[in-house]
Amino acid sequence: MAVITLKDVKKSFGAMSIIANVNLTIQDREFVIFVGPSGSGKSTLLRLVAGLEDTTSGQILIDGEDVTNLGPAERQLSMVFQSYALYPTKTVRQNMSFGLEVARLPKAEITRRVDRVAAILKLEDYMDRKPVALSGGQRQRVAIGRAIVREPVAFLFDEPLSNLDAALRVEMRIEIAKLHQRLGATMIYVTHDQVEAMTLADKIVVLDKGDIQQIGTPIELYEHPANLFVAQFIGSPKMNVLVARADGATITFKSGGRLALSAATPTNVAKLGVRPEDISLVREEQGHLVGTVEVVERLGSDTFAYVAVDQLDAVTVRIVGNVAGITAGQKVGLSLDLNRLHLFADDGKTISTTI
Amino acid sequence: MAIAGKSQLSGKFRRNRMLLTAVLAVYFIYTFIPIFYVITAATKTNQDLFNTFGLWFSDDFHLWQNLSELFTIQDGIFLRWLGNTFYYATVSALGAAIFATLAGYAFAKYDFTGKKFLFALVLGAVMIPQTALVIPIFLLLSEVGLLNTAWAVILPSLVFPPGVFLMRAYVDEAISNEIIDAGRMDGAGEFHIFSRLAFRMLMPGFTTVLILAFVANWNNYFLPLVVLNSPEYFPVTVGLANWYATAVGGTGGVLLYTVVMTGALVSILPVIVAFLIMQRFWQGGLGAGGVKA
Repeated sequence: MAVITLKDVKKSFGAMSIIANVNLTIQDREFVIFVGPSGSGKSTLLRLVAGLEDTTSGQILIDGEDVTNLGPAERQLSMVFQSYALYPTKTVRQNMSFGLEVARLPKAEITRRVDRVAAILKLEDYMDRKPVALSGGQRQRVAIGRAIVREPVAFLFDEPLSNLDAALRVEMRIEIAKLHQRLGATMIYVTHDQVEAMTLADKIVVLDKGDIQQIGTPIELYEHPANLFVAQFIGSPKMNVLVARADGATITFKSGGRLALSAATPTNVAKLGVRPEDISLVREEQGHLVGTVEVVERLGSDTFAYVAVDQLDAVTVRIVGNVAGITAGQKVGLSLDLNRLHLFADDGKTISTTI
Repeated sequence: MAIAGKSQLSGKFRRNRMLLTAVLAVYFIYTFIPIFYVITAATKTNQDLFNTFGLWFSDDFHLWQNLSELFTIQDGIFLRWLGNTFYYATVSALGAAIFATLAGYAFAKYDFTGKKFLFALVLGAVMIPQTALVIPIFLLLSEVGLLNTAWAVILPSLVFPPGVFLMRAYVDEAISNEIIDAGRMDGAGEFHIFSRLAFRMLMPGFTTVLILAFVANWNNYFLPLVVLNSPEYFPVTVGLANWYATAVGGTGGVLLYTVVMTGALVSILPVIVAFLIMQRFWQGGLGAGGVKA
């Protein structure tokens, strides 16, 4: 199938640099997700791979072949767009067969392929309808079907689920995961939704301001973020970041609270990160920090407590299950799991320690 | 439909509505009186035309005789003029609408050097009345030897700047970049995308430009007057004006005002029919952007 390699890829519009300098290899059959906030360049990067944008410099290779100067169709990739981009004047069948007709495939072959894909995606009943007469989920399936019939070497998805409502989004997410298993194709998927990224990806590429911040498996990014940006972008609710100073094996918070670590840390620590589930609520006198519960959110499976700590931002605490006895206004102690702290330097980079 | 805060019963709403109706009524009368005059005049004898009240029919209903005379006088040349007008207007309007759609699509969807300047030229051209261009066009056509041919009327009419302006705005609204990108991913070339995917989506805009260009060309008088001199190439507008001049001059005494009036009536009918037929495309156009593809 397809190994996609990006070598020193840069893209700028006039003087404005959109993609700084990207080096990336996407393995055959891998499900790779580009994730980042708006304006991070993730969609541009996907369009560069698709051939819909020209690179300013650098090379794009598919299976070792340089495709940098080839048009979108010659790269043999398929793309699913955010707005579905179905052809409104054509029926579902015509939408799916258009690309094959352009490629001048025999009629019988086109019908065979379209029918097969329609069966996979359960679209048989809608083949003669126009897109206007379809629901959002059906349109999305047609868009995916149109991509599959071309039997591309890889699939590109540009925020395909962001136009769907929450329930449908979860459903389609699972559909796409199944599709990946079934087709075993290389897929590149762009999203700003880190939950989609975490659940679907074999490998996540986190982008910010046109630069790759980190590449890794979902769990790698979660457990070992390379910098503050990744740490805060991956994970929901966000990682708590507290302003702190290190002095030997002691970390002092701006609020005055102290942590005694088992080993000395570098002195350039500026911030300390801790995930909501790595904090537990304890009695006031037992905690590393002391605060007041401001809001309690009970989701049934989890309980989130937002605790205001003097001179620090509100700290989010996640407790598994529905825990009784926590109320707003209550004074509590916060106990941090010392084995799961993340330390960041002034420039936001993670300080590797053996705490 | 009532708008919150402005109920249909409120005094202000009713006053506004009455005012609006009054303004429209005045406008209607203003536009309809000349048409009505033409209708009544076409049903009269030449004598009645001057001796009876202009805005009502006379006792002698003479329309059929007038029509018969209109189509037989001078070996039935009026029919030929009608045919010429139809031919010039149809070919010019189709060509103008196609060029306007192509240009509008290019302005809306492609980035190219000089785009702003070229579009400014188009906008500028909208402001220039065609009358001002007729003399240079005459000189150009004379240079290439196309005077007194159908091309002399059709070629200049293929340029329709208001159509380009309209189509650019319409393409912007009606066709998302993602649809064009989807076509590219499907392997279609740019012209293929335009002709097979985009054009159908642009039908309402295309029809609008087609009607506007058709009407403009149907009514075109000055250009054919200048570039044509054989009566067999005349469109209705120029032919009728010639007849009218003859009638006013009183030379020959064959041509009557009523024939000119009947000719005028017959010449506006196709435009009205074209409007009625095209109306459904037009209305379709206004609502087309409402559904997300």
